[in-house]
Amino acid sequence: MRIIIFFLFITLFQFNTSSCYSQNVKVSLDFKNVTIEEVFNEIEAKTAFKIFYMNAEIDLQRKVSLNVKKKRIEKILKILFADTDIVYEIVGKQILLKIDSLKNKSTPISSVNENNDLEEVVLEKVQVQGIIIDKFGVRLSGVNVVEKGTSNGTSTDFDGHYNISVSSVATLVFTSIGFTIKETLVDKQSNINVTLIEETEKLSEIVVTALNIKKEIRGLGYSITEVEGDELSVVKQTNAINALQGKIAGLNITQHATGAAGSSRVIIRGASSLTGYNQPLYILDGIPIGNNTNGSAGEWGGFDGGDGISSINPDDIESVSVLKGGAASALYGSRAAGGVIIITTKTGKGLKKLTVEVSSSFTFNDLDTSFLDAQTEYGQGIFGRKPVNQAEAKATSRSSWGEKLDGSMVVQWDGVERPYSYVGSNWDHFYRTGTTAINTVSLAVARNNLNYRFSATNLKNEDIIPNSNLGRKSMSLNIGAVLSKKLSVQLNAKYIIEDVHNRPNISSPPFNTSFTVGNLSPNVDVRSMNPGANADGTERTFSANPFYINPYFSAFNYRNEDKKKRIIASASLRYDFTDWLYLGARAGVDHYVIEREQVWPLGTGFFPLGAIWDREFQYTQVDTDAILGVEKEMNDKFSVNAFVGVNSNYIKDQELVNLGVFFIIPGIESIDNTESQTPSKMFSESKIGSIYGSAEFSYSKWVYLTFTGRNDWFSTLSFPGKKSPNDDFYSSVNASLVLSDALKMPDFINFLKFRGGYSTVAGGVDRAYQLSLTYDFFADHEGQELVQINGEQVPNANLVAFSKNEFEVGFDARFFNNRLALDFAYYRNETVNDIVPVNISSTSGFSSVLTNTGVLENKGVELLISGTPIKTIDFVWDSSFNVSHNKGTVLATNYNNANISIGLPRTLNIEVAQIVGEPFGTLFGNAYSRDVNGNILYEIDASGVPLAVIGERKILGQGVSPTAFGVTNTFTYKDFRLSFLIDGKFGGQIFSGTNAVLTANGLHKQTLEGRENGLTVSGIDAATNQAFTTTIAPENLQGYWGRIASVGGIAEHFVEDNDFIKFRQLSLGYSLPNHALKNTFMKTVHISATAYNLFFIKRSVENIDPESNYQTGNAQGLDYFGIPPSKSYGLNIKVKF
Amino acid sequence: MKKLLYIVLAVFVLNACDKGFEELNVDPVNLSQAPVGNKLSTIELFSSGGNFENHRVNIIYNAMMMQHLSSPLLNFAEGDKYILRKDYTSALFIHYRQPVKWIEDLLVQLDDEDAPDEMKAIVRILRVFVFQRLTDHYGDIPYSEAGKAFIDGVYTPKYDAQSHIYIDMLEELEAAAAILSLDSGTSAFGSADFLFQGDLSKWKKFANSMMLRLGFRLIKVDPAAAQNWVTKAILGGVMESNTDIVYFQHAATPLTSQNGNASGFAQDDQIRLSHTFVDFMQTRNDPRLPILAARKRDGSNDSWNLIGLPNGLDANLLLQLTGENDTNEYAEPSAIVKNLATPMFWQTYAEVEFMLAEAAERWGLAGGDPEPHYNAGVRAAMKMLEIYGSEAVIDDADIDAYLLANPFDATNAIEQINTQYWTATFLNDYESYSNWRRSGFPVLTPVNYPGNATNGTIPRRMTWDESEKINNLTNYNAAIAAQGADLLTTRIWWDIE
Repeated sequence: MRIIIFFLFITLFQFNTSSCYSQNVKVSLDFKNVTIEEVFNEIEAKTAFKIFYMNAEIDLQRKVSLNVKKKRIEKILKILFADTDIVYEIVGKQILLKIDSLKNKSTPISSVNENNDLEEVVLEKVQVQGIIIDKFGVRLSGVNVVEKGTSNGTSTDFDGHYNISVSSVATLVFTSIGFTIKETLVDKQSNINVTLIEETEKLSEIVVTALNIKKEIRGLGYSITEVEGDELSVVKQTNAINALQGKIAGLNITQHATGAAGSSRVIIRGASSLTGYNQPLYILDGIPIGNNTNGSAGEWGGFDGGDGISSINPDDIESVSVLKGGAASALYGSRAAGGVIIITTKTGKGLKKLTVEVSSSFTFNDLDTSFLDAQTEYGQGIFGRKPVNQAEAKATSRSSWGEKLDGSMVVQWDGVERPYSYVGSNWDHFYRTGTTAINTVSLAVARNNLNYRFSATNLKNEDIIPNSNLGRKSMSLNIGAVLSKKLSVQLNAKYIIEDVHNRPNISSPPFNTSFTVGNLSPNVDVRSMNPGANADGTERTFSANPFYINPYFSAFNYRNEDKKKRIIASASLRYDFTDWLYLGARAGVDHYVIEREQVWPLGTGFFPLGAIWDREFQYTQVDTDAILGVEKEMNDKFSVNAFVGVNSNYIKDQELVNLGVFFIIPGIESIDNTESQTPSKMFSESKIGSIYGSAEFSYSKWVYLTFTGRNDWFSTLSFPGKKSPNDDFYSSVNASLVLSDALKMPDFINFLKFRGGYSTVAGGVDRAYQLSLTYDFFADHEGQELVQINGEQVPNANLVAFSKNEFEVGFDARFFNNRLALDFAYYRNETVNDIVPVNISSTSGFSSVLTNTGVLENKGVELLISGTPIKTIDFVWDSSFNVSHNKGTVLATNYNNANISIGLPRTLNIEVAQIVGEPFGTLFGNAYSRDVNGNILYEIDASGVPLAVIGERKILGQGVSPTAFGVTNTFTYKDFRLSFLIDGKFGGQIFSGTNAVLTANGLHKQTLEGRENGLTVSGIDAATNQAFTTTIAPENLQGYWGRIASVGGIAEHFVEDNDFIKFRQLSLGYSLPNHALKNTFMKTVHISATAYNLFFIKRSVENIDPESNYQTGNAQGLDYFGIPPSKSYGLNIKVKF
Repeated sequence: MKKLLYIVLAVFVLNACDKGFEELNVDPVNLSQAPVGNKLSTIELFSSGGNFENHRVNIIYNAMMMQHLSSPLLNFAEGDKYILRKDYTSALFIHYRQPVKWIEDLLVQLDDEDAPDEMKAIVRILRVFVFQRLTDHYGDIPYSEAGKAFIDGVYTPKYDAQSHIYIDMLEELEAAAAILSLDSGTSAFGSADFLFQGDLSKWKKFANSMMLRLGFRLIKVDPAAAQNWVTKAILGGVMESNTDIVYFQHAATPLTSQNGNASGFAQDDQIRLSHTFVDFMQTRNDPRLPILAARKRDGSNDSWNLIGLPNGLDANLLLQLTGENDTNEYAEPSAIVKNLATPMFWQTYAEVEFMLAEAAERWGLAGGDPEPHYNAGVRAAMKMLEIYGSEAVIDDADIDAYLLANPFDATNAIEQINTQYWTATFLNDYESYSNWRRSGFPVLTPVNYPGNATNGTIPRRMTWDESEKINNLTNYNAAIAAQGADLLTTRIWWDIE
């Protein structure tokens, strides 16, 4: 198969086949009553067409109105010269206009003659008026009404009404884009109402596909979803990619509970690799950009270092194309295993006048305290009693197993006696209202073969955690130029400065403020811990356990700062040798440097002498492409569009770390002020070289067949003497059949297309140097440097790329004059030869080896239903619903199919594992031990307390929800627009470490039962196998719950469904009407109010946000004191000048 | 066909797409190869071992089973009570991931670099030393295929029969010693060789002394072979004085350099000297006792203040049995041996002399008279303590007095010699334990703690690593079929009843 497809390419390129420029260029025009000449100028400005004519033959001053979106030039010419004797001819990029001589001879310009029934010329003029509607009765505005054979014409107003003075025997021609032309004899009528019928052959939307090639949707044999940039900036987020959530079937976005500067996890059609990188390849303006996560929290805590995609400014985005299937992304080869997301930024194209746009948004992020619903009745203490002295208060700092709150004075951590009563929500006391302000100014224009757009954005976010904030300044400059008839060039550059102050710590303490604040007893006010440090800078520790850090010390004394400077720039040019042969070249660079300083200050409770990490991350990606392509229409029906290309991709990734321990002089937090420093360097440099090609054949514009092929060579799979291949070949074939064009369809079907494709994509090895053994000096002994083999993973010199194949079928249908659309896809993909670490016998000298043994399958369906249930002149209701279901199954892990553990929480009683026969990321943890009847077994301790027997690990759930849906409704009434989004996920589970810890500490509401009179428990005594029922005394509840909820306890108790339906987004926008702006310098003014994460319609897990994962990698389904959830409310203003 | 197409394309479109890739994928930060000397240094340090295996196997099991040490704890003293704790009994297995792997790696490099044979001989001797400890503790083990995951792609090494391993180890020693006989200078390892600074003559003596040790291991299973190898070893030239002792000098810093026994003592302050050992030395007025032991409560090392803690007790049983509830009244390892920078003895001249005494006794070898060898062994065992430092020097007069009071006993030679061997290998309990199993001496009274895994008998081996059941199951099962269940009571090949 591979060879055949490849061979096809080669043969193809020997044909001189291509399709016309005119086939691919789509023009949008919006004119009211302008001259033909102005229309011509605009067409020439927006496209490479040149229009040629004899001035005498064309009435350049004829006024026309025109409103077309993405139409081919033929269509526009047809409309412009309907009912004239002008004919056109397109030769390459030249449009020739001339008088049709045949027409001239036979029909002199006279409507009378055409009617052919009168001998005398009737010159009587009549006034005709009427209303134009569509078949649903909706009044149509802007319909052109022309007296046939003349230039006499008008168009309908907003109410669909027209009024024209014509000859009483004239024929009126009604034309409107998207409707079939209608002609009516006046025949002395003065009132002519017309119903226009929508054109059935309509669908010619253009989308951006692989390699930024624009294609008509009708020709695509795979599923692709394009979202306009405006839609992404309805509710502006610090990470723009989050705005796609709920909007695209098959795209699974997880926003983590890691703060505003955190990263997002984006998965298309399920994961492709058991342990590797599973997120899509991001292409920005034609070049790949890095999406590294520079830091992530694990079971021992940490912070989310943010990802690469979050740098992109939502105000600059023109469109986002999501290439879901392998067939869509096969041209990207090895990097496309996780799908591809193509982001195109705005340019100045089509803006004849200098347009200045100012956009401002301001958002409040309000802590959502409805989540953590802890008990507020019992206070600090142990075994049912209050602390008796300060030492005990500190020793029981996170224990709420005390007495019922009674208002008595009880000593607290600082020795101060305070009332033993509820102090209110410590979440409210500690956290603050966050704010995000985003301001963008842009200038754009297209003039004299040159278009450009410049924008500058300032983003300032104050997170809900005190003293934690994010600033981002972005500048973007896009320039397009037509240098000659044959040569055009496009330059894009972005510069982004990101400044993050105190990325919040999550998961296990220390420094996780949520952990401390969430675990305080109801009678202990967090504000008593403010400030976090004593006058000498040492921490005011509130706990005998120094790892439970004073949250104010964590927020104000601990430091974690990073500054990222990033440049993303690309240049591309296109040279047209002839009208069918072109050469394209593109080069781009993504480069950033992050400087990060993390300080455990002198006086930190658990590390009194302090430490500092100085880190510098450097990332560079350089990508270059060259394409030679042909576009040719062979004849009326058959056309070919093909190209070959070469690509070179280079990535350098390096991290320098200098760890300094023990500050010497207080007050100077610098690496130089430490007793000892340990520097280290991480370095990786890799290249991929590629050859690729594509050939698309179309017949009669209803059959499309596309082949693609790409061969990638990997430096990371190259090594001297390596015998296995360092390359892999990827191909795809896909077909599209537009049945509605091929067959006669019932009237209500406007468009029906079936598509299908098969593809292979794959992934290589990201990190370099994994094929060979390396050594490093790790210590010295009595003056001799000691050297060791790095790591315990065997370098596998025979590693090859893994491959993923995908089969996809689907259909795209439009009904009832395009008022209802249906898009369905089914896919099955399988990853084979996945690169996984296999545990090997330690007697081999190593503990694991990377092998090509993993197999993973995903099957799924995606459905999009969209439509316009109501459409009147003033009111339109657009609705869209998408749902997707992905069933992922691990088919093989390693040669003995052992589980592969990919992550665990601090409670250590559960792991996320890849288990053969189970879904990707299965939750596998300690279960209750039960007898054959399912009764829980207990050990009865010396005090008679039944302690649950910790059973074997079992499959307790899946961390990734297989089903996701989103519903968007938009109501437009005159100048108002109301839109809301509801989304949800189903079928997944989450292990809530938060609930486990709250339970162990006596804060979870389930621990209230029995606090006064004891808790009755029934079960089986494991020692005797006899059933028992006993009542646990209140003071012993702590032990009972401790067994279940402590570290190493019963995970099963805390694994819950994380199904949810969230009212995600609401926005109300208002555009000032044109007449209001008539005498101002403003062109448009748009104001909107927005709300985000408003409330849950359904939520099955208590106390936590179902989306509170703290892991950004493959180990999904673990919660452990993430950043508390918040709602946000914002106001946006956008003004164009 | 495919290849041809690629070439055509490459020529047409650009030149090769993977030009320079092989060079690019060479790590510029880490070393792709390291000097052999640095590797040897590392191998010697890790062969001596760290806290992990010394604390778990040498102290908690070997020394407590051999009643050198004892402890009233349950955790951290499973070996004292013959309780099976697999993550402890398998701790020596980490040698596969460290010295074994590095030794195999270094041997390949020496071959690749055409290094002189004597350098290879040194590494081959080290290899035998490391494997000897492994097989003596576990019996059948991966040997011929071990540590070669990278070299040969063997991820699940087979378990070799101990009988084969022993033959190979002895032949290796013979070959290495033969190479070293050709040259008596200094190897190119020089000062990277912590043990002998490259002194080839000392390496040769080490090879022959190891051969002597390994030869004696065969005494029960193949006495003729034992005699044959012992004869060869003696002819080849074994250690001749305490200057030939093989020991590794540890250091307090960095952490990796610390003596593994000492850092184990630092972690666990409930380790005491065994009543058996203290009693044995006290009754013989052994001058070593005040050097090796001190009363926990006050550090007193007055011999008559030193009481050993009986083995196999917990705090409750101790109270019932002795009326004592303060374990600080018992003797613990002295500050001298608890020092993190103390030497770790691998094989001593004293051991060699005791083996020569036995060879003379059994076969009339080594001059035919066991007595001078016995005397030299006792003397060397006492004098060698000065390697611990000046506070550990024993006067010759004290040694003479000891020998006078405890002269060679021809009627009970084998027991006496091997009991002295046991005394001399205090804290090198890897060796005490093996020599006890092959000789049966000293005669130890086993304990019978409730819930012990051996029915009140002293374990005969350590158990394999549990992860082998997951990662090397076929070979693990084959080894069980060949040797017996993976239990503390299963006897290894040379330890027949």
